[in-house]
Amino acid sequence: MNDFHGLIFAYFTNPNLRELVNVRTAASLPFCGRYRLIDFSLSSMRNAGIYDVGVIMQRDYQSLLDHLGGGKAWDMARRTGGLRMLPPFGLPEYHRGNYSGTMEALIAVRSYIQDIPAKYIVLLLGNMVANIDLTKPMEQHRRSGAEITALCTDRSGDGFRMTYVKGEDGLLKKILVDTADPKAGPVSMEGYIINRDTLLNMIEDCRKESIHLFHREALPRFLQQGGRMDCYVHTGYSVLVRSVDSYFKANMDMVDPAIRHELFPADQPVFTKVREEVSTYYAEGAYSRNCLVADNCIVEGSLENCVVFSGARIGKGAKLKNCIVMSDCVVGADSKLDYCIVDKDVSFSPGTVLTGNEKLPLVVPKGSAL
Amino acid sequence: MKKTCIAMLLAGGQGSRLYALTQSVAKPSVPFGGKYRIIDFPLSNCANSGIDTVGVLTQYRPLQLNSYIGSGQPWDLDVNNGGVYILPPYQSAGEKGSWFSGTANAIYQNLAFIENYDPENVLILSGDHIYKMDYADMLRDHLEHDAACTISVLQVSLEEASRFGMMNLGEDGYINEFEEKPKHPKSDLASMGIYIFNWPKLRHYLIADEANPNSKHDFGHNIIPAMIADGEKIWPYHFQGYWRDVGTITSLWDANMDMLSPDLINLYDPDWPISARSPICPPHQTGPHAEISHSIVTEGCEIDGHVANSVLSPSVRIDVGARVLYSVLMNGAVVEAGATVEYAIIGENTVVRAGAHVGNAPDGSEAWGVATIGPDVEVRPGASVPAGAMISKSEEV
Repeated sequence: MNDFHGLIFAYFTNPNLRELVNVRTAASLPFCGRYRLIDFSLSSMRNAGIYDVGVIMQRDYQSLLDHLGGGKAWDMARRTGGLRMLPPFGLPEYHRGNYSGTMEALIAVRSYIQDIPAKYIVLLLGNMVANIDLTKPMEQHRRSGAEITALCTDRSGDGFRMTYVKGEDGLLKKILVDTADPKAGPVSMEGYIINRDTLLNMIEDCRKESIHLFHREALPRFLQQGGRMDCYVHTGYSVLVRSVDSYFKANMDMVDPAIRHELFPADQPVFTKVREEVSTYYAEGAYSRNCLVADNCIVEGSLENCVVFSGARIGKGAKLKNCIVMSDCVVGADSKLDYCIVDKDVSFSPGTVLTGNEKLPLVVPKGSAL
Repeated sequence: MKKTCIAMLLAGGQGSRLYALTQSVAKPSVPFGGKYRIIDFPLSNCANSGIDTVGVLTQYRPLQLNSYIGSGQPWDLDVNNGGVYILPPYQSAGEKGSWFSGTANAIYQNLAFIENYDPENVLILSGDHIYKMDYADMLRDHLEHDAACTISVLQVSLEEASRFGMMNLGEDGYINEFEEKPKHPKSDLASMGIYIFNWPKLRHYLIADEANPNSKHDFGHNIIPAMIADGEKIWPYHFQGYWRDVGTITSLWDANMDMLSPDLINLYDPDWPISARSPICPPHQTGPHAEISHSIVTEGCEIDGHVANSVLSPSVRIDVGARVLYSVLMNGAVVEAGATVEYAIIGENTVVRAGAHVGNAPDGSEAWGVATIGPDVEVRPGASVPAGAMISKSEEV
């Protein structure tokens, strides 16, 4: 039996993601032409042999459920264990709002965690874009004797907001919140490997004290009480998507082959639900440069610096620049779009002109008809 | 549980006329049309027609085919009481065991599989045809005409007729004569190699045929003529639409080019999807110098060169300054900077090094043909492969 069990936080809907999270959580945001953000945490776990994974969700999870299905795509449809969806349960009757913090979410699913047979639990954020070889921090955690191993990154970005301060013994002593400063110490990816018993103790302690915040309250408490926390630094592309800006930039990063190959190495595949059935067709007169284009598209117009998801129809004479076009969108002939994030199932009638700005990409909500 | 109709898919052919492409894989698992392998067409047709039990008969190099079909999940053929089964030749207790000696013998050797499902009818399919067909409609026709056997037929020109098995009809519309590759055809109805048999009848004829030492154990040569001779009712199902046999290099290349024309066969029709097992790569990427026109491009490709009138399978790489024209590039093929590939089929994971030239445009000569390079070949920098050449791994250039 595997000593490790996975837990993924997939309930966030950060307001800076604006219209993109009207209909979904950040974890189910479409990414890189065919993926959803949660594919990265799920695939990292799967590639490390973790097939028993709970996904903590709270609301607006229809799109997430649709994507995850029974977990088959990640080999997590298992006879015993496998993928489990964890919507809220056991919350007090009066609780109608959002989880006010990660600790509250963990308290809400504590009966699930109590039943986990594995010794260690890997916690990851569902809005993480990183392909982590978890076998290394897992091995480190097993050997180090630390109760918690914090996953850190050598990269920077606006999604990171915590830094740890190391003590002389190399263990982590302090957390600087709202700071992502590699000079001060390792920058947090807000992912952890933690002994199950340690986590259960923290949950019990925080439940009694009504502590809901993990980084601001629960972890400092753990450190104060003499808890041992080590860190592992992941070297490789990493982003936490928390805003339209970071979402746009991370997608555009993928057009660069060097970055894409770093995130999608051949020996660490990223798995996702398969939907495409047919290749993409470029008509005579089509144009496509510096783009990522998924299958099942028909391109008659012109694409430059775009990420296009499956099922798109780009009409003759249409010109798209610096756009993200999600699944099943129809762009009518001679339309001109620049700096737009076009959500799923949007249709533009011929000749539509829409221009966003590099600083403020225009988000066209799901299902719009212009 | 009794089934109305199950399918038996003949996928054992060596595909000797494609030999560079089929040295290490069976013909049905040769990549086709970008996203697909040839066998995706009959498998998807089965799924779309509501036939949930398919036996795939293999004997030549089945490894890749087996792993490709797997549980049948991409075609929704992973069902309870049914599904897709790979059926290799096997040995029974006390018997010597033997390879499939003919199409009919292949079915005969799997009588036990068929009887397991106790079907009323059995659909016989071939693993090397490209077409979209509703077998349920054919089955309705078969049942309506109370036929012992229904043969799907296609109208062909009289010049083409000498390449096919031709069906002659009586006044009642039933088939009363079968001529294999006739010099002077009497009709223009060609057999597509797709049959529905009433199972008890077929069973009877298979057993009788097996006992005949002079038989080639072939449906077209032996079983159908024997049924006609006995006066069994054989009904022609008139198929209209796109259908190609891709048994030769030219026909394989032609059919790939046809995929660029939705008026011939529309692969984008959501009502009749052709499904494939996806390798799950990132979407294809176009670089700063890419030029792509009238072409099919698939997931995982990286294109920075010039591509026109071509069909690209997953994870093909075309470097800057390379030119790919009127060609079919299979999974993982690479065309390096400045190389040219025209009127060619390039096998899986083959690398055409910088400045090499593969194939030539038609020059009207008899000798001209599509250049074919098998899988895992390296075409050296600056090398030249003439039109019509066929090169496999053992004879690298």
